[in-house]
Amino acid sequence: MKKQSKDVKNRPTSSGRDSKEYFRPKSKKELKEILKNNDILTIIAGGTDLLVSNYQKLYKIDKWLDLDLIDEFKEVKIFDDKIEIGSMVTHDRLVRLEKIKELFPILHSAALDLGSPQIRSRGTIGGNIVTSSPAGDLLPPLLVYDAEVVIISDQEERKVDLNTFFTGPKKNVLKEGEILEKIVIPLKKDKSRGVWKKVGKRKALVISSISLALNIVFDKDNIIKKAKMAIGSAAPVPLRIKSAEEILIGQSLDSIDYIKVAKAAAKQISPIDDIRGTAEYRISVAKNITKSALKEVTK
Amino acid sequence: MDKISVELTVNRKKYKIKVEPDERLLDTLRERLNFTGVKEGCSIGECGACTVILDGKAVNSCMVYTFQVDSSEVITVKGLEIDGKLDPLQRAFIDYQAVQCGFCTPGMLISARALLNQNPNPNREEIKTAIEGNLCRCTGYKQIIKAIESVVKKDRSE
Repeated sequence: MKKQSKDVKNRPTSSGRDSKEYFRPKSKKELKEILKNNDILTIIAGGTDLLVSNYQKLYKIDKWLDLDLIDEFKEVKIFDDKIEIGSMVTHDRLVRLEKIKELFPILHSAALDLGSPQIRSRGTIGGNIVTSSPAGDLLPPLLVYDAEVVIISDQEERKVDLNTFFTGPKKNVLKEGEILEKIVIPLKKDKSRGVWKKVGKRKALVISSISLALNIVFDKDNIIKKAKMAIGSAAPVPLRIKSAEEILIGQSLDSIDYIKVAKAAAKQISPIDDIRGTAEYRISVAKNITKSALKEVTK
Repeated sequence: MDKISVELTVNRKKYKIKVEPDERLLDTLRERLNFTGVKEGCSIGECGACTVILDGKAVNSCMVYTFQVDSSEVITVKGLEIDGKLDPLQRAFIDYQAVQCGFCTPGMLISARALLNQNPNPNREEIKTAIEGNLCRCTGYKQIIKAIESVVKKDRSE
């Protein structure tokens, strides 16, 4: 959800069933027109976060922008070197896409672990990113797959590396009048092995206490060629654990010092005490899931 | 705010209504159209008591604004019964005593129906996943799962 403020008098008279207070554009073109002519828009994607925060109606929403009718934002396109996922693709669809399961198994697993069937039916990948919760389930997998996001406004388009997108808990680099259009994930030639771990009080409908995504590329001699690791719910933003990655690269399958990697991971995170666990607990669990993820990936 | 015209089909009947943008589908169904079988539990998507089938998918009606469901089709627990004949799931919930206090039952039935519509032959794990967003605080999950399984088995033997 993103608000924008700009004093503009001209509003489009109608667009489908749009009124002056709410807009449901049917195309990117219509969306840009609305962005150009309107101030303070509250953007709704799947609504699974917005309706929670707006439940008590503590703040007034003047203008609504619902992205649900923009078919261009629901497209999934597969190219030779990348895959593009529209921001309005739901978690449910993500789970059902065979290509995602095959090419990005950790993203598939994380989408399956997210919320409940009801939430997965409505919630979107774009919403998960824009809400920018440190506990966003899709975020560690997207980080290890080197995802980029395409952001549009009425004037321009820009691409941002997801590693630099998040700036704090529920904060990101989106500016006034900007909308997340799609997610671009590069397709790499190397075969990789990945693991997704989510720790919480129960399996379904849980905001993670801590989560971890690990993706490793081995060369033909089983030496780690590339390693990407990210942890969620353990810092103000979902975090790439570069210190652990550096230790892993060049190690052979049977010589990985699990404890050293786990310690590096624990050192890089900065968790807080909250209802889902204390900082001390999170550091301890971070070490343990790092170890178990490594064991799983090298099995 | 000006009101928004919305046309929607609920339990195979068409309705034309005018709503404020922040009216939830849950409120439309309960307060406006009197489908009080849809229950309000937590109001933040955690309990599943308000689950309805929206265009074929189970959703929490507390997490959808009514203006978003224009031209959509909604099935509530009341719509499971057709011409006085209970859905096999409803029958099974009675037979397997899968109802204790009853508050979660409408949501459970709807989640189970959404599953069987998409996958008529689910295994136990798939059944569990389908109802993972529905809380039963009497903790009668075992009977609920058995009831759903019995409908699957019946379909299989027919």
